[in-house]
Amino acid sequence: MFVNHRVCRGIGLLVVCLVLIIAGPVMAQGPKQGGTFRFAAIAESPHLDQHVTTSDPSTNIAQHVFECLFTYDSNYVPVPMLASGYQEKNGGKLIAINLRQGVKFHNGKEMTSEDVAASLTRWGKFGVRGPILFSHIDKVEADGKYKVNLYFKEPFGPWKALLALLNGGPAIYPKESVEGADAKPIPENKYIGTGPYKFVEQNPGRYALLERFKDYTGRTEPSDGDSGKRIAYFDKLMFIPVPDVGTRVNGVKAGDYDYAEQISGDLYDQLSTDATVKTYIRKGAIIGLMFFNSKAGPFKDNYKLRQAVLAAIDMTPALQAAIGPNNLWKANGSIAPAGTLWYTTAGTENYSQGSKSKAQTLAKEAGYNGEKITLMASQAYKFHYDSCVVIAKQLKDAGFNVDLQVYDWATLVSKRSDANQWDMFFTHHAYVTDPVLYTFMNAVYPGWWATKQKEDLASQFTQVLDPKQRLEIWNKIQTLFYEQVPVAKTGDIFSYDIASPKVDWVGAGAHLTWPRFWGTYFK
Amino acid sequence: MLYYILRRLLSLLPSLFIMSVLVFSFIHLIPGDPAVILLGDQASPAQVAELKVSLGLDQPIYVQYLKWAAAVLHGDFGKSVFFSQPVAEVIAGRTETSVCIAVLSFMLVLLIGIPIGIVSAAKYNSKLDQFFSGMSMFLASVPTFWLGLNLMTLFSVQFKLLPSSGFPSILQSGDLTNLRYLILPCLTLAAPNSALIIRLTRASMLDVFKEDYVRTARAKGLHELKVVMLHVFRNSLIAVVSALGFTFVGLVAGTVVTETVFSLPGVGRLVVESVLRRDYPVIQAIILFIALLYMLINLLVDISYAWLDPRIRHG
Repeated sequence: MFVNHRVCRGIGLLVVCLVLIIAGPVMAQGPKQGGTFRFAAIAESPHLDQHVTTSDPSTNIAQHVFECLFTYDSNYVPVPMLASGYQEKNGGKLIAINLRQGVKFHNGKEMTSEDVAASLTRWGKFGVRGPILFSHIDKVEADGKYKVNLYFKEPFGPWKALLALLNGGPAIYPKESVEGADAKPIPENKYIGTGPYKFVEQNPGRYALLERFKDYTGRTEPSDGDSGKRIAYFDKLMFIPVPDVGTRVNGVKAGDYDYAEQISGDLYDQLSTDATVKTYIRKGAIIGLMFFNSKAGPFKDNYKLRQAVLAAIDMTPALQAAIGPNNLWKANGSIAPAGTLWYTTAGTENYSQGSKSKAQTLAKEAGYNGEKITLMASQAYKFHYDSCVVIAKQLKDAGFNVDLQVYDWATLVSKRSDANQWDMFFTHHAYVTDPVLYTFMNAVYPGWWATKQKEDLASQFTQVLDPKQRLEIWNKIQTLFYEQVPVAKTGDIFSYDIASPKVDWVGAGAHLTWPRFWGTYFK
Repeated sequence: MLYYILRRLLSLLPSLFIMSVLVFSFIHLIPGDPAVILLGDQASPAQVAELKVSLGLDQPIYVQYLKWAAAVLHGDFGKSVFFSQPVAEVIAGRTETSVCIAVLSFMLVLLIGIPIGIVSAAKYNSKLDQFFSGMSMFLASVPTFWLGLNLMTLFSVQFKLLPSSGFPSILQSGDLTNLRYLILPCLTLAAPNSALIIRLTRASMLDVFKEDYVRTARAKGLHELKVVMLHVFRNSLIAVVSALGFTFVGLVAGTVVTETVFSLPGVGRLVVESVLRRDYPVIQAIILFIALLYMLINLLVDISYAWLDPRIRHG
């Protein structure tokens, strides 16, 4: 009996052990380190110097290598990243930014105020978005080892949003990387950042390779959007240019890639029910924009004619044709996408009217007599061309003599800088966290919206620090936008990506504007 | 013969010079600015102008050409505007893929095209000939992107036998098994080119079959295999060799669709992408490279004529 009892106990223990052995890995499932993550990118990245490029393929990679003083949480609110905090003094004319201590660059050096001041100065002078901020700044000063002071000419509301945007923004490099650097990108051997991954190599046409930075000194708060803890689970990240969308999809299905970006809308219904892939819709909507020429041609100072064009267009069929499934677009007249801080309905009664009769009446009042209107579009972005085909048809039906001219992207960009070569052109805008970053707010951007009313409102908008007051002014700007019609917005467009089912994320908001892979792991 | 080859090689120099002037002029004539492409949509005109100065693109075109030509004569093709790397390195990185694809596809074209062409001609109007003719018409007319994507879906996605895309460098890794990445692209490329060679071999041989000396050879009781291979096939080779020469160059530089579908880092894709990015130094160097390749292959084809046809050699 005693023996039997011991035998039973032994068997019981054995069973428990077996259960633990079998179930252990299942129970322990969760984030784990290791592996090489392969990202199928839509295009090759030119270089990773974020100061001087707004290229999306570049930012996809660079966001893992470089960090800014601030970043965005899942609600697109700028929060400290390399900064530990800040104080606004003298009514917003002095911003003192305290830096986190002990932050290491990939070369082992500690980040100090000198590195930050050197990076901000180079970005302010040569950076793509730098002058937007630095035209309001008198001086940047390193104050001790861990503090940087920004002296403004006048208060500037969007300063934090600009310091948080990595794309074309103020990535923090070691002083040695940016000293003497100009508008040309810094060389690869100076790609030294503070991010969770460090740059290894870029093999043109094949891949860009990053590896985990073992001494990464990140934040400790829970991950939220791009803010908080950044844990690098993968040993390596490989970004592979795969220009054909069919190949990107097949590559993920075949197991050759773990993630593929920007899949075409016509495949969405099929892929969202396919068990071999997972679809992810990006939160940051891009917006389709048709610019009017304010400097020359029939639209110069003729707001009524622009209103007539706008009245003729029904955006829904244009979005349907260009994007496809309904959950990938939204016919939204607010410049900022729905659900975001800057969303407002001011002036949107003039959006997407699709009224031939109103268009014809307004065109007659505007003195339009069938002059040729040139609309430029590029097939480099398929949805640009598809949108324009529908818009051109609607405009022709309403009596406008529209000439749709299709170019490659480089030619279109070159032609649009000459005001005598076009009347309208189509492009898109990535999601931005502050309206000051919209291209049409920039008076020197082709389209040249620089009326006195707009410039006055824009000036008030940047000088006010209180978010509520800023929103009120933005309402006025959007109302003016629908009166003077510098641009016609088509709607909000949501890109989507696919991933292998073995890929998972920690935390929310991993798919804001540029998909990022810290906090990502293989199940 | 040696004198002939030397003379032909020397005659390449003025052709290359003219080609370089034409390419330089044409690429600068089309609208577009590499500085704008590099800086992106948001850059101000002042920033674009500053970068143009930094890249030397603000100077008159003839000054840019002379500087470029002087550097090329010293073996320096300049730096890629897009990659910020020496052009020679950028092109060298792509040449491995293109040469591998071209050689492997070319072998497939030879192995498929010539034997089937011979059999078709020898069995003229038979059921086998009709089958091969139908097959070659199909292969010649099927679009390469369609064939490529279907091969990928079948062998990579469904059966998971072969990689879907990409080509890790053999030179860098030393791993010859990477050649498996090229099986599907080479099959895709070989299909239309084999069809061309089948049709051409068959047609050329059928012409030769009508010659008197073939009738004589048969009349004297020579074995049909000898008639076909020694008298007909060899004498029909001149047209086939000429086509094979151009096929090879096309396989090195003209495979942009296949390279795009299989995401291969080859020369064809580099040409198209560089034109779209207005990466002038890369375009100039690569077009010269392709032109030189065309000229050298032409020379080889001409030399092979002399080898194949004694009348040309002795004449």
